[in-house]
Amino acid sequence: MSFIEFKNVCKRYPGSDKNTVDNFTLDIEEKEFIAFVGPSGCGKSTTLRMIAGFEEITGGELYIDGKKMNEVAPRDRGISMVFQNYALYPHMTVEKNIGYGLKNMKMPSDQIKQKVDWAIKVLGLEEYRYRKPKNLSGGQRQRVALGRAIVKNSKVFLMDEPLSNLDAKLRVSMRTEISKLHRQIGATTIYVTHDQVEAMTMADRIVIMKDGVIQQVGRPMELYDHPVNQFVAGFIGSPQMNFFDVTVDNGTVRFSDGSTMTLSEGMLKKLNGRQGEMVLGIRGEDIKMDAQNMELNNENMQHAVITDTEVMGNENNLYFNFGGSQAVARVSKYEISQIGDRVNFVFMPSKMHFFDKETGVNYTEAV
Amino acid sequence: MVTKKQKRINWILVAVLLVLSIFFLFPVIWMLANSFKPDAAITADMNSIAAFIPPAPDGSFFDNYVQIITNTSFLRYMVNTLLYAAILIVLSIVVNGLAGYALAKIRFPFRDQWLMIIIMLLIVPTETVITIHFLIIAKAGLLNTIVGYILPLIVNPFNIFLFRQVFVSLPDDVYEAAQLDFCGPVKYFFTMVLPMSKTVVATVSVFTFLNVWNDYLWPSLVFTSSDLLTAQIGLNSITSNENTTMGQTLAVITLITIPVIIIYSLFSKQIVEGVTSTGSKEG
Ligand SMILES: Nc1ncnc2c1ncn2[C@@H]1O[C@H](COP(=O)(O)OP(=O)(O)O)[C@@H](O)[C@H]1O
Ligand SMILES: [Mg+2]
Repeated sequence: MSFIEFKNVCKRYPGSDKNTVDNFTLDIEEKEFIAFVGPSGCGKSTTLRMIAGFEEITGGELYIDGKKMNEVAPRDRGISMVFQNYALYPHMTVEKNIGYGLKNMKMPSDQIKQKVDWAIKVLGLEEYRYRKPKNLSGGQRQRVALGRAIVKNSKVFLMDEPLSNLDAKLRVSMRTEISKLHRQIGATTIYVTHDQVEAMTMADRIVIMKDGVIQQVGRPMELYDHPVNQFVAGFIGSPQMNFFDVTVDNGTVRFSDGSTMTLSEGMLKKLNGRQGEMVLGIRGEDIKMDAQNMELNNENMQHAVITDTEVMGNENNLYFNFGGSQAVARVSKYEISQIGDRVNFVFMPSKMHFFDKETGVNYTEAV
Repeated sequence: MVTKKQKRINWILVAVLLVLSIFFLFPVIWMLANSFKPDAAITADMNSIAAFIPPAPDGSFFDNYVQIITNTSFLRYMVNTLLYAAILIVLSIVVNGLAGYALAKIRFPFRDQWLMIIIMLLIVPTETVITIHFLIIAKAGLLNTIVGYILPLIVNPFNIFLFRQVFVSLPDDVYEAAQLDFCGPVKYFFTMVLPMSKTVVATVSVFTFLNVWNDYLWPSLVFTSSDLLTAQIGLNSITSNENTTMGQTLAVITLITIPVIIIYSLFSKQIVEGVTSTGSKEG
C-alpha cells in the first residue's frame, strides 16, 4: 500500500450541482515530492484541504499510512501545512510561532528549544528570532511558516501556493530552499501551485488537474515529452507548445495555409492509420533552423518571416506566422535572427504530437 | 514639509483649542481647588480669582477628604464599583466575545437573521428593559446581591456587534494552522482571537468600566444594603445628607472623577476608535 492513497475521492460543495473534485485516484509514495498543478479554480486547493481535513470528503476514500482519514480530525492526521498567506500567529515572536505546536504537544521545553533552534538555523532566521511577523518581509514570513511545519516531524507536508506572494527573484531562491529542505527532512510533500515552472523544477512527480479531474500524473520530463492530451501539452512548458489545425491524409500533413509536410515512418506507425482533421503540436525547441537538421529533413523544409523575437541570451524565441497561426521556435544563440528575416526551418519529425480535434487526446502517445 | 502657512494655521488651532479646553476645565479646577477648603473659605473666595486657587498646604489641607474617608463608606463604595467593573469586564469579553465570534466565523442556521436581531437591539434604550430586568431579578430572589446586579449587564448587543465586526476580518487560515498545532477551539479563542484583537478588547473593557462606574439607575434598583452600594449611589447619599459640607461634597465628586480621568487618559485611543470605527470597518 502506498503512503497516501486517494480512492475515487470526490468533493461537492454544498449548493453546487457538480463535483469540484471528481474521482480523484492517486497513490503517493513515502518521501515523494508531488506537485498538484493546474489553472486557477481547477480544485487543487480543495484537494489539498481534503487531505488536511479542512474540507469534508464527499465521496471516495483517503488513506494516509494505511489509515482511512475521511473522518479523522485535522490535528490527528499527522500533517503540517504551509499556507499561501503564511497564517502566522501575529502576536507571537518567530520563536514562539515555530514552537507553538510543540508546546501544545506538551513537549518538554528544553526539547522544544532544541528543535526551534535547529529550525531557526536551517532557515537562516537567527536575526529575527524575537521579531513579530509584522516586522518581517514576505520571504522571512514564509520561512517562519516553513519552520512551524518542519519542527513537528510530521510525515506529510502540505503546501498551498507557498511562494505566490513573493517577488519573482525570491520565488526562485525559495524554490531551491524548499527542495533542499525536502531532501534533508524527507517528509512526503504535496505542493500546490498554478505555476508549471515551480512544479517542473521541484517535484518528483506532477499531477496535472483541470476542472477537478486529473489529466496526467508523471515525472516532469514524462509530462513534457509525452503529454497525454492537448491540455497537458499546452500547460507544461514555456513558451507554450505550438498548435496547428491540420489535415492528415495518406502520410501528408496539410496546414490551413496550404503548406504540407510528409510524415516519417515512425510517426505514421504511431498514428496507426488515423486520418483527417487533427491538431498538430510541436515544441519550440523542436522547430529547427540549424543547417544540419535542415539537410537531414530537406524535403520538409518550410519558410517564414520572423515577426518578433525574444532574446534571452542562451536561448532565444523567434516568432513567425506559419500554417495559419503564430508559431514560436526556440533557437540557440547561433541561429538568432532579426525581425523581418526570412528563415527556413523544419519540424523534428519524431517530436510532433497529433491531438484529437474534439477530445484533445494525444494519438502519438499510445495510452 | 510643513509650509509656513500651515504652521501658522496650526498655531492658531492650538490657541483656539487651548482657550476651549480652559473653558471646559474651569469647573474642574474650581471643584478641585475648593475641595481642599473649609466651607467658610469657599464662600469667602467665591467672587474672586481665589476660587480657582487651592489653599496653602497646611495641616488641614486634606480635611475634607479625611472626613469623607473616615466618616462615610465612600471608599468602600468605590472599591465595590471597581470590583463589579472588573467582574463585568471579564464576563463581557468572554460572553459577548464568544457570541461575536460565533456570528463572525461559525456557520449555523439563521446566522444572518440572528445578527439582524442583535443589531436591532442596539436601538432599544436600556431604560425600557430595566423594569423587566428588575422584575426577573426580583422573582429570582437576587435583589440586593452582586449576582443580581451583574447578570443583566453581561450581555450587551453593542459589544457583540463590536466583536463580530472585528472577528469577521480575522483570517481563517490562522485558525487552520492553529488546529494543526494542536490548539482546540476554546484555546484558540482565548489565546489567539483575543490577543489578535487587543484593540476591541480594550475598547469593550473601557466602555464596560465607564458604564459601571457612571450607572446610577440600575444599582439603585438592585441594591438596598449599604455594604454593596456603588460609588454613584454613595455620592448621591453623601451629598444629599444635610450634614455634609460643601467642601466634602466637592471632595467626593473629585474622588469619583479620578478613575474616569485615569481611564480616559490611558485609553483615549481605544475610546475614539470605539466611537468612530464601529460602523463597518472590516480591515
Ligand atoms: N467553500 C467553497 N464553497 C463553494 N465553492 C468553493 C469553495 N471553495 C472553493 N470553491 C470552488 O471550487 C473550485 C475550486 O477551487 P480551488 O480548489 O480553490 O481551486 P484552485 O486551488 O485550483 O485554484 C472553484 O471554482 C471555487 O470557486
Ligand atoms: Mg488554490
